[in-house]
Amino acid sequence: MSAFNELAVKETGARLKDNARRDRPWQVVVWNDPVTLMSYVVFVFRRLFGFDLATATRLMLQVHNEGKAVVATEPRERAEVAVAQLHAHGLQATLARE
Amino acid sequence: MTVAQINREGELVYLRIGRGERRALLQILDRLEPLVDHSHWARPRAYQEEEDEQEFQRLVGTDLADSRAADLAQVRVALESDERILLTSDAAMAWMRALNLLRLALAERLGITADGWEEQYSLQEHRRPPLATLHLLSWVQEGLVEALSVS
Repeated sequence: MSAFNELAVKETGARLKDNARRDRPWQVVVWNDPVTLMSYVVFVFRRLFGFDLATATRLMLQVHNEGKAVVATEPRERAEVAVAQLHAHGLQATLARE
Repeated sequence: MTVAQINREGELVYLRIGRGERRALLQILDRLEPLVDHSHWARPRAYQEEEDEQEFQRLVGTDLADSRAADLAQVRVALESDERILLTSDAAMAWMRALNLLRLALAERLGITADGWEEQYSLQEHRRPPLATLHLLSWVQEGLVEALSVS
């Protein structure tokens, strides 16, 4: 293999690795705050993610009792949209690699 | 002072509040709105990594500030009007988001940083401003959640 081909293979490998890293699912994490009403959090979870009442309530309680909860796992762009929507509703949310 | 009633009227939510309550809520809005932009809750981070965060803020930061301002403006317009306050589901959501922002900004000003803060204050303190203001905003927000949750 020529030096040029070897370099091309290495670059392709690095690019594929980078793409794979980017394509890995991301977690949408919601964090507790001491002020936001529990009923409002449940309502927002149901509205944004389509959860039933029991699931939304369980996740809200997890946020409240444990400080945080993963509410969705999505490809990066969709996870970013979810976090932006949560921010727009006044909830603290971050993205984390799965 | 109490907000009289929040009810569902078909697809709409009706805030039945008097002139005095409207004036009081407007005064609260006047006092708290300037705090919102300076509140750390108003600048949430999405990423730990600075490079990712800057890119995220570049994409959504302005939208977030604009939607926040639009939500607060929607509440103000309704309170300043002499009309009955009848909210569509989307408008009620805007109210809830705005009320949440105001509550967060006020709580930050009060130094509330951890759960259990309610027990740190006496009953008298809960009944007087600024805590009474926080409770009033909670009451309206809770009423909207309940009204919208009726299927």
